[in-house]
Amino acid sequence: FGLSLPAVAVLLVALLCLDPHCRVGSAPICAHGPSGCHIPSLADLFDRVIQHSARMHSLSNDLHSEFEQYFLPSKNHIGKIYRKCHTSNILTPNGKDNAQKLAREELTEVILKLLMAWRDPLFQLHQSMAHQQDFNSFSSNKALEMGDMAHELRKGVEKVAEKMRVLGMLGNSVTGLSAAEAMLPLSDSGEAMSDYELLYCFRRDSNKVQNYLKILKCRIVPEHDC
Amino acid sequence: MAYSLSLGLLYLGLLCGNGLVSARSELFTPDPSRGPHFTGCRSREQETFRCWWSAGIFQNLTEPGALRVFYQTKNFLSEWQECPDYTRTVKNECYFNKTFTQIWTSYCIQLRSVRENITYDEACFTVENIVHPDPPIGLNWTLLNVSRSGLHFDVLVRWAPPPSADVQMGWMSLVYQVQYRVRNNSHWEMLDLESGTQQSIYGLHTDKEYEVRVRCKMSAFDNFGEFSGSIIVHVAQIPSKESTFPTTLVLIFGVIGVVILLVLLIFSQQQRLMVIFLPPIPAPKIKGIDPELLKNGKLDQLNSLLSSQDMYKPDFYHEDPWVEFIQLDLDDPAEKNESSDTQHLLGVSRSGSSHVLNFKSDDDSGRASCYDPEIPNPEDLASLLPGHSGRGDNHPLVSRSSSSIPDLGVQQTKEVEETPIQTQPAVPSWVNMDFLCQVSDFTPAGGVVLSPGQLNSSPEKKKEEENEKKIQFQLLSDGAYTSENTARQLSASVPPSPGPEQGYQTFPTQAVEGNLWNGEYLVSTSDSQTPYLLPEAPPAPILPPVSDYTVVQEVDAQHSLLLNPPSSQPAICPHSPNKHLPAMPTMPMGYLTPDLLGNLTP
Repeated sequence: FGLSLPAVAVLLVALLCLDPHCRVGSAPICAHGPSGCHIPSLADLFDRVIQHSARMHSLSNDLHSEFEQYFLPSKNHIGKIYRKCHTSNILTPNGKDNAQKLAREELTEVILKLLMAWRDPLFQLHQSMAHQQDFNSFSSNKALEMGDMAHELRKGVEKVAEKMRVLGMLGNSVTGLSAAEAMLPLSDSGEAMSDYELLYCFRRDSNKVQNYLKILKCRIVPEHDC
Repeated sequence: MAYSLSLGLLYLGLLCGNGLVSARSELFTPDPSRGPHFTGCRSREQETFRCWWSAGIFQNLTEPGALRVFYQTKNFLSEWQECPDYTRTVKNECYFNKTFTQIWTSYCIQLRSVRENITYDEACFTVENIVHPDPPIGLNWTLLNVSRSGLHFDVLVRWAPPPSADVQMGWMSLVYQVQYRVRNNSHWEMLDLESGTQQSIYGLHTDKEYEVRVRCKMSAFDNFGEFSGSIIVHVAQIPSKESTFPTTLVLIFGVIGVVILLVLLIFSQQQRLMVIFLPPIPAPKIKGIDPELLKNGKLDQLNSLLSSQDMYKPDFYHEDPWVEFIQLDLDDPAEKNESSDTQHLLGVSRSGSSHVLNFKSDDDSGRASCYDPEIPNPEDLASLLPGHSGRGDNHPLVSRSSSSIPDLGVQQTKEVEETPIQTQPAVPSWVNMDFLCQVSDFTPAGGVVLSPGQLNSSPEKKKEEENEKKIQFQLLSDGAYTSENTARQLSASVPPSPGPEQGYQTFPTQAVEGNLWNGEYLVSTSDSQTPYLLPEAPPAPILPPVSDYTVVQEVDAQHSLLLNPPSSQPAICPHSPNKHLPAMPTMPMGYLTPDLLGNLTP
């Protein structure tokens, strides 16, 4: 048999830790009650995601301006006239009133759809920007950060939605987005969109997400004059 | 198909048209040199927007309705629609209300003349990119604080967001920019963007009027709105003398205190400071004379001291050794060195001799005629004194120290404080030279009465006062190098005393009978004779009162100096002649003049 005592002990520990109950995980600090534990309220959660979306939008704006400044000095460039973003298929309210009239669930879903739609394109954008020598390292880092932000924002909004559902504010019509809905950005002509187009479209969409979240918050969390 | 056509038209319009409105809105100033064109589109609250155009040079199109605006949204509808609302009150304005305003949607507008079916201008934009928020309202300021000097102050400026912007819900997130300037100045100071509704301005000057204004824009967008109205910020300067008053007072008092301290310091340490800043010029020291002796010693001692000093002898004595009064030594000066007669006479040794005067009965180079061999010469005595050997540095003649001059005579074995007195390592050259014989008196026959070692000038006045003598001695002792202080003292206290050159004659000495060895070149006190000389000196009653010098009158065949004609003189110096000199009954006192010198050489 030849197993020494230490080996046996090691085996024992390993067996025990294979048990899910023994697995080390992030135990909630507030498991024993709300004493001294600050559970973020829904309002706080909303504030966080709104802040996050604002940062994301600001970042996208910076990248877009940089791109415009370095690559499109002439403002009369044709490409600026009209772009069809890959997210144009997603029905989004185009105004404040429309967004206010939309149901919470739908609004939440729109937000999640948008964020989901940009997961891969942002990664693509970062890849292409990193490979191009024209961009400086700052721009490529910004693109990477932007992609991470979008990812985190999506996670955050999902958490908010979860919380809302728990609180009974949302119906059950919100369905989880499947990976199949993540679209690849394709322009009308079927070609892949250029970096500038991607930046233009994402800037617009991040602004949408930010405003939708604000409207949603205002409707979910009743505040003064909201 | 229609879509691609419109796209092509758009492209052409872009290429040809100059008034393209990009995503950034343009200014409102119409360009009169152009044809009809859009002058700008703006949204105030991101819910509605307006567009303006100008007819330009085509004045025939200025009437309403001639030019029309068509727009197209690029969402789903590709039709060109006409402006939903031509503002009645404002000329050439197209207003899109909420229902026609779509955010995040590309708009394209065209300026057409329907009659002519010409599209003069086209512009494309999205609404969120043409948002220029209204200016903030309610701008006011409050004073934060005033600096201690009263010259600067800080204010807190507050405002409210424009009412048209829906910031409550967050539909528009605004950031603000505050600007201020000195009134009527041309340059505005710009502060950083502020997302809140208040801002502090620091470092403003009192007594200056400032203008403050604020504007806002949507965060993450670039279009600022109009400025709000300027407010005036002004704080009157309070004449606060108090803040400066203590400072100046403290400064003044501090300076005065420091000055007083300095003055006190200087006065208290005056002497030391004088020494530091104005070091006294070191007085030349006379070799062989102890300053303490000069101060406290008897005049006899001092006389002997001084008689032994070089300074009483003119230089030519050194140069012409044979010129010496008594000594007719025509030998080379080498003989004058350390193994001189005097040294032998005195028995001076390096180890330090006592004050016993050893007199040689013989081997005096010509002194015999003048001096008793047993009688120690003043110079012999002087050779005992410190500094004889030429170590003049050790014995500054001038000394204000109060130490007593050691008694060479009485305390023969007394150890003098100053070691140089005891040690005579080398006898200076002048020791080899005999002293001058002192003329004590003049005989009616014309002869000179000599007295050894006594400084006398009988014709001169005699001064009984000890102070005078001492003072004069001091003066003399300094010789030609009387220090200023001494001279001052002397001049102050003593009537004009003769110069050192005359010292020999002028110092009256007492006719101290039997006081052979006073060695007084100075007048000694009547009562106290220099004791150190006294015991050694055998009485020589035969010696008349002090006589100074013997004048060499002639030189006989044996190269002897005849100081006095042998016939006419009493035997002042009746002693046996030395080896070198024949018996010379007298020694005329005086200096050998060069012509007499010639007589000497055979």
